[in-house]
Amino acid sequence: MTTTATRVKTRRRRAFTRRDIVTLVLFIGVPSFLHIFWVWIPALSTIGLSFTFWNGVKISDIKWAGLANYNTIFTASPQFYDALQNNAYWLLWFTFIATPLGVLLAYQVDRAIRGHKIYESVYYIPVVLSLAVIGIIWRFMLGPAGLVQVLLGHPGIEDAIPIFGNYSINTYVILGIASWRHIGYIMLLYLAGLKSVDPSLREAAAIDGATEWQTFRKIVLPAMAPVNTIIIVITVIESLRAFDLIYIIYGTSTGWPILGMLVFVNIYGQAASMLGAAYAVILFLLSIIPIVFYLRTVFREDIK
Amino acid sequence: MSNEVKENGVSRRTVLKGAAIGGAGLLGGGTLLSSCGSDEATGPVKFTARTNDETGLKIAQALVDAYTAETGIEATMQGSGDTNAFQDGISQYLQGTPDDAFQWMAGFRTNFRADQGLLVDLSENIKNLGDQMPAGFVSGATNPTDGKQYIIPTTWYPWGLHYRKSTMQEIGLDPEGLYNWDDFMKLLEGTKKKGLIGYALGDKGGWEAMGTFSILNTRLNGYNYHIDLLNGRAKWTDPKTLDVFKQFEMLIPYMNKNVLDISWDGMRDLLLQKKCGAIMMGSWWANDFKAQSQADYDDLWIVPFPEINPEFGRDSIDAPVDGVVAAANGTNPEGGAAFAEWCGSENGMLAAQAAGDTSLYANSRLDSSGYDAFNKQKLAVIGEAKNVMNFLDRDCRNDFAGPIVGVQIQNFLKNPKDINKILEETQAAWDALPPLA
Repeated sequence: MTTTATRVKTRRRRAFTRRDIVTLVLFIGVPSFLHIFWVWIPALSTIGLSFTFWNGVKISDIKWAGLANYNTIFTASPQFYDALQNNAYWLLWFTFIATPLGVLLAYQVDRAIRGHKIYESVYYIPVVLSLAVIGIIWRFMLGPAGLVQVLLGHPGIEDAIPIFGNYSINTYVILGIASWRHIGYIMLLYLAGLKSVDPSLREAAAIDGATEWQTFRKIVLPAMAPVNTIIIVITVIESLRAFDLIYIIYGTSTGWPILGMLVFVNIYGQAASMLGAAYAVILFLLSIIPIVFYLRTVFREDIK
Repeated sequence: MSNEVKENGVSRRTVLKGAAIGGAGLLGGGTLLSSCGSDEATGPVKFTARTNDETGLKIAQALVDAYTAETGIEATMQGSGDTNAFQDGISQYLQGTPDDAFQWMAGFRTNFRADQGLLVDLSENIKNLGDQMPAGFVSGATNPTDGKQYIIPTTWYPWGLHYRKSTMQEIGLDPEGLYNWDDFMKLLEGTKKKGLIGYALGDKGGWEAMGTFSILNTRLNGYNYHIDLLNGRAKWTDPKTLDVFKQFEMLIPYMNKNVLDISWDGMRDLLLQKKCGAIMMGSWWANDFKAQSQADYDDLWIVPFPEINPEFGRDSIDAPVDGVVAAANGTNPEGGAAFAEWCGSENGMLAAQAAGDTSLYANSRLDSSGYDAFNKQKLAVIGEAKNVMNFLDRDCRNDFAGPIVGVQIQNFLKNPKDINKILEETQAAWDALPPLA
């Protein structure tokens, strides 16, 4: 075994010309450096700063705080649990409603139902817009004196129906708006995957008398395993990192608090303090743990 | 306690009151050599307006044009873009490559950044203005940490009940005679009967309703209690604080149903469109009424918020002072300081006035005889009060005002029944604040 290893090593060393090394340095070194410099150093600094009191201006003002920021968040924040709840709603809604709808649409479009080209375009259009733009569009439409208000017969500010500030419906309104884009996004990703599934597999299933549902579950879904992983990861990330839509609709007043907004308000706002860093660490852990766990299971299966 | 905002004490309040009534001729520095923004600063100056609306930008443009015409120094201006974002990101903005001078707010928001070394010390410039700058404003602009001034006060405005005279006439009500809470309730009932919103409020921004909270607190519990509460010397869980919210709750039936959907500009528009009786707001947007038409502006009126507790009468008011500051990290800090000084001078004020600024001026040379009826009324409203406040988010720490008090008032408006829990949380949040660095 040792001999093989050495042989591989020597062979590899011989294979690297000067040019190869330059290429490697350029293609691996530069991105690694940028990644470490722009992603890992700030991330690790944030983790470090979350254990301090600081207002973000003079380095000399940084004071060790221990777990005080975390303690404040868990025991004395008026918004942390609301934010956690809203992020959880977002995740559940995307997982059980928006993403499955996107998959369903992709499947229907792929089956070339009548008018599938039109459906495809219609559902895809919102995806080209960023969530910030989507926020602006819907804020204008649903806000006081907006198009929807006018159509509902409430053109004036004085009798505008409360929507974004109405806490019995605003969760659904916001998740609806977010889904408007997410469904199309998932549809497109899934559609790309479906196109790559060998049609003969389905034909074979059909000949064997499988129903539509059986074909989907037993044939299409397993053949789509890599795409499924991507879609699950995207759904989790999109749900937890949600920020732009809420910022556009509510500004920094956090009328519908989510973790991303609490990070922003507490680290960037006039009230800069390292509470924001602690929120960021919490958000980071929440995002990374399920994803690492999921990816590990998936890759382990792949190795088998 | 280390996390208190230091105050300037009695002097500012009493002297400001004097300034409000008497106008010119107060103590001041007394120098006759008050030069207008000269010095050796000659490089081009960049100026950021703390607004992005048409009238505000017009005024800012007029300021830089007049400055260039007078001094020959090239000056340019830009709007703030999204004003809330500008205000939120101010510390970051000042650490980057900011414009040399920008419009800002006196009080904690200035003093805190001054303590961080982000603003230019303008004490010399205030001295240059001499007797043009009444002592009350100098005192209001003074940072209690080091006794220096970092902002040149330019304009100020009272927070009060704004209404349209024509609307009140149509429904046969006379808010001028309004003095106490019962009168006020009758007024609200009357407007409501006519199918209008009695007390229009928009709190989407999270700060608008702070004005109502502050005035109710000072009316019920007095100025000292209010300032103590904002600085941790009184408790949010105190029954006196609870009373304030109980009083607030009495206004809710007269409010629009979409309080959390509209912002301050929605409140202004409701008044502009004659859809409501009164709004509790600062008068800075009177410019927009004037921009709409002179008739609309003439129709606008302000009265002090009514008395609730006779012990305190109507002795307190929010009358925030705005001004111009110079950024320490700007490319031309001396030029910025000179420009800030000029903005506070008589010539700067006249330039702003000519461009449609209807605010009250800090500068004593522009005596109150030249004010229009609405401005005289604003002065009278301020003059009645003994205690002048800077507004809640300038009277207390920024990491408490916005993320805690603002949010909790929204939570109260969302569900007034939760108030006990809300107040407990607010107190817990205060107790958990780190020392103010």
